Amino acid sequence: MATTRTLFDQELAELKSGVVRMGSMVEQAIAESMRALVDRNNVLAKEVIARDQEVNELHRQLRERAFMIMATQQPVARDLRLIVSFQHMVLELERMGDHAVGIARAALRLNDLPQLKPYIDLPKMAEITESQVHEILGAVIEADQDRARAIAERDDEVDALYHKIWDELVGFMVQDPANVQRAAILLFLAKDLERIADRVTNIAEDVVFLHTGRIVELS
Amino acid sequence: MIARAAMQTEIVPPTVDGADVEIKLDARRVNFFYGDFQALHDASLAVQARKITALIGPSGCGKTTFLRIFNRMHDLTPGTRATGEVLLDGHNVLSPDTDVINLRRQVGMLFQRANPFPKSIYDNVAYGPHILGWSKPQIDEIVEESLKDTGLWDEVKDRLRRSALNLSGGQQQRLCLARALAVKPEVILMDEPASALDPIATLRIEELMQELKKRYTIVIVTHNMQQSARVSDFTAFMLMNERRAGEVIEFGPTDDIFNRPKDSRTEDYITGRFG
Repeated sequence: MATTRTLFDQELAELKSGVVRMGSMVEQAIAESMRALVDRNNVLAKEVIARDQEVNELHRQLRERAFMIMATQQPVARDLRLIVSFQHMVLELERMGDHAVGIARAALRLNDLPQLKPYIDLPKMAEITESQVHEILGAVIEADQDRARAIAERDDEVDALYHKIWDELVGFMVQDPANVQRAAILLFLAKDLERIADRVTNIAEDVVFLHTGRIVELS
Repeated sequence: MIARAAMQTEIVPPTVDGADVEIKLDARRVNFFYGDFQALHDASLAVQARKITALIGPSGCGKTTFLRIFNRMHDLTPGTRATGEVLLDGHNVLSPDTDVINLRRQVGMLFQRANPFPKSIYDNVAYGPHILGWSKPQIDEIVEESLKDTGLWDEVKDRLRRSALNLSGGQQQRLCLARALAVKPEVILMDEPASALDPIATLRIEELMQELKKRYTIVIVTHNMQQSARVSDFTAFMLMNERRAGEVIEFGPTDDIFNRPKDSRTEDYITGRFG
């Protein structure tokens, strides 16, 4: 039987490509915000903050596009799931971009102060979350729910590191009140990374929904 | 009324939480022939009482043919033949001993185009009760009740003796529905009842269906998939097989058919990937 929705298929493909493009921008923002911290690079931190406007603009465009497709094409079943999932994914990606900005802002404040401690666990945590973001985009591209589920499982590693960092930083605060400001900023930064990983799990849930039509909780 | 377990036909009738459901109409392996041409192949469908069941599928898939078998409308076409069973409360309507007149009273029909008689509004609704020999007061009462049930009473109560042909298309269709309701049916078959109506009149019919399903069992054939998704509780998707005979491909709660169809052919159809 002949395919009858060529234009619609093209619109869906463009939407998907936009989601992946937005994901790549966010992935880069997270990596660069962490590099700005570790390398004490304020220029890079400011670039990350400035570029968030592009992410926000792409988010707006993709939401508009998804809304337009829904209004004009009346999608059902897998098409509807695809558009609804994409709408949610871009929201999560936009928030991830905000977290990257949070990390960059924290880096700007910390870079002007003496370093509290060598950064060991934070870069480890960032490495996992960056890899999760990269992997989840792959799962979106390939619509691979098994891969998405596996990526979501790594959230436990991130949580474990977050709790370890928390304990360590609270220890610094207790040790010397002069540490409180820097430790508090680092705690917020760690929280940003932890939330990014949570949002990856949310996207993984979208990939599963896309496949099965069932709303699942992977966390 | 017969309450039976859900597993009755080859196409598994939908159940609600595994509970017994009341099946009003149960078509079992129905085959239908126009002369030598087979138009339906082993079509099965268990229609739940006081629910709306929609038949969807591309043109020529046999959905209207299937619908018309439920009250033996096919008898009116020479050279046709139906096999299998269509149980209405357990009685096979296809059996030769069926009182077809009574069957069509029990199982009313609304067609694609409104077809009021060229008579007054009152006479259109009173026609069936009059044939059935009801008294004048009874007929007056049923005319008012049927017109109220279809939301027409307030619009026509002051002109009941005027010609039904002066009504708008949407009003004519609701009048035809009132005419069907006047003989106290149990099942109402609707063959694309809104396809000739504007969007507002269509929504009026759809809202009416939601009211009517509290008392009647409704089976609707529609080309409009959004309409099926909006109004029906259950949906059956039909398709022609390689010999051009219609088959029921998938049958289930409308929510499942439109969100999570099991058969890829259903998904392809509802998402418009073939036509």
